[in-house]
Amino acid sequence: MREPAWRIFAAEYNDSNHVIQAKGERATKYILTPLGAIVNRLFIVGVLTDIEEIGVEGIRRRARISDPTGIHVVYAEAFKPEVASMLADMEIPSYIAVVGKVRVYEPEEGMLYLSARTEMAKEVTIETRNQWIIEASRNTLMRINALKDAMNMENPSAKHLKELGYPYTIGKGVVEALKVYKDVDLNHYEMLIREALSFITSVPKEMKKDYGEAEEKLISIIEKMQGEEGALWENVIEEGIKEGIEKEIVEEVIVALMEKGTIYEPQLGRLKVV
Amino acid sequence: MENNIESAVDEILEIIEANREEVEKDLRKFIEYGVPLEHAKKAVINKYSGSAKEKKLKDVNINEKNIITVAKIIFIDEREIEVRGEKRKIYRGWLGDETARLQFTAWKDFDLKEGDVIKIKNASSSEWMEQPRLNLSERTEVEKLDYDIELIKRFPERYNLVDLRPGLSNVEVRGKIMSIEEREVSVGDDIKKVFSGIIADETAKVRFTAWKDFDLKEGDVIKIRGGYVRKWRGAPQLNFDENAELEKLDEEILIEEKIVPLYKIVQAQGGIDLCFQGVILEVRKDSGIIFRCPKCNKRIKEGICDDDGEVDGNPDLRIKVLVDDGTGAVDVILNREISEKLLNKNMDEFLNLAKEAMDYGIVYDEIVNSLLTKTIKVRGDSIQSDLIVTISAKDAEIIKIDEKKEAEELLMQLEG
Repeated sequence: MREPAWRIFAAEYNDSNHVIQAKGERATKYILTPLGAIVNRLFIVGVLTDIEEIGVEGIRRRARISDPTGIHVVYAEAFKPEVASMLADMEIPSYIAVVGKVRVYEPEEGMLYLSARTEMAKEVTIETRNQWIIEASRNTLMRINALKDAMNMENPSAKHLKELGYPYTIGKGVVEALKVYKDVDLNHYEMLIREALSFITSVPKEMKKDYGEAEEKLISIIEKMQGEEGALWENVIEEGIKEGIEKEIVEEVIVALMEKGTIYEPQLGRLKVV
Repeated sequence: MENNIESAVDEILEIIEANREEVEKDLRKFIEYGVPLEHAKKAVINKYSGSAKEKKLKDVNINEKNIITVAKIIFIDEREIEVRGEKRKIYRGWLGDETARLQFTAWKDFDLKEGDVIKIKNASSSEWMEQPRLNLSERTEVEKLDYDIELIKRFPERYNLVDLRPGLSNVEVRGKIMSIEEREVSVGDDIKKVFSGIIADETAKVRFTAWKDFDLKEGDVIKIRGGYVRKWRGAPQLNFDENAELEKLDEEILIEEKIVPLYKIVQAQGGIDLCFQGVILEVRKDSGIIFRCPKCNKRIKEGICDDDGEVDGNPDLRIKVLVDDGTGAVDVILNREISEKLLNKNMDEFLNLAKEAMDYGIVYDEIVNSLLTKTIKVRGDSIQSDLIVTISAKDAEIIKIDEKKEAEELLMQLEG
């Protein structure tokens, strides 16, 4: 059976800390996410914010794709040269769709870096990106609802969840996630979905009216602080507050600027103006 | 602790054939070394695994090793899977005894047929839908027995037609006869009259064959208890014979087209008149302009037909795409008419493009450009295929969703 491509937000994927190695002939590797997705293949759409050559031959590439909730890291491996060269030719920022397999790097126990090994990459339009946000939101919301239903069960099982209409694999993952992740903050993920969807419902012009000034201030702050490596996220927020912008608005504007492609994350926790 | 050891020894002896004193001695030794009791138990069982006891299927648990049992093959189906890039054949099905029935997978060809009663040694079990599934591997011994065994009696289980998948037996379904025709089939030396057609409920349409004359007419709404499902022409088919109970119902069933999530189609291994929606995540390499033999219509390569030799091929346009909705994935074949509609260009235009570029690859590139990552809605029937469920499209369209409306609906759900 071909593994389906999960539409999954970066925040949920990157929060995962549990790897399931299937037994048997194929030994497929899966990531169990906090909301119970059992992922082997992903479908990601977002803004390409950064791309770098890695490895000695310079054939492999690492790229960062920003979605409304965080950053997906994807690799193009040497055995997929057409994907690597496609990535290299893309402009930054631009909308990109990627299909990839889970990639796990565990430098020490309990420390997981999750990314995806690219099978397919293509430049896409904003419509495709928005459609992806809707699918990812819908799927995430379904898993949140399944988790809520499972929490209300005395003995949650995939079978019972199936009777409520959830696909068997969703039920199985959700029951597993309850065991592995204990207290999952569902409100947090509901908020992420809300934020993601507001990218589609909010009119971009209004955004500018509200935050135009804050945006300009933050861009100049980042420009001043970025140097070679990029400005530290925390420092930018600190400076923003000093300039009289509320903390929440600073964070929102940073995310919005990344989404627009005005700024990007050259590495985790650092910001740079394009 | 003493009591625990006693009961642990009892448990071990239920699983393996061995001397009680020796088992106890081995167990105590592990415990002296500080091995927790549960691990110690497993270690002792492993040590004596060669002398495991024969067990009934209801006593098989998930993730057991060295299983010995006697069972009857209820259903077996061959399928091809890919292991590390290599194709290999495996055998899947159901087996049973008087206590239970279980799914099994045979990783090599044991030459098993439906109805065979076999003794299995050194099998293992894994999980499938929260039930144990027996695995017959290279190391498993299978011996055919010359006597028959009883199978557990079960009540029919109720299914919606969309959930029928090959291998199910003793199902109860309800549906409306959409079409029916009489035909003759040869069973051994006999010619038998059977009745084949299409039955539908609110969830799906399914082909059926009645192996006895139940006096069915088009439009009848019926309930069948004791049907079974087999794969036929690449799709599940409902069968019922003299062992089934049939009841005519006085009710109407509303048949309408519904979008089915792909995991259901994958589980059913296909279907007819399917309707689904997903994103095109791959354009298969053999998509584009191909040439067909003018005599037999088969695809030809470099002007040579396998059957008719050197011929002047007719061009055709066809596309094969992988469609994935996040729950499952299928291949979809789009014929020339549908392809031209989706690409907004006809075949002659593509032929001219290819001639100008002196490369048919340009057609592939253009298909990738316009279709990859697009959302497509498909209606069609599955066809015979090995690795992945393959649907031959009867119609298809690219879907544009009203993103604002959908986003607002989801936000409403979040408030609710």
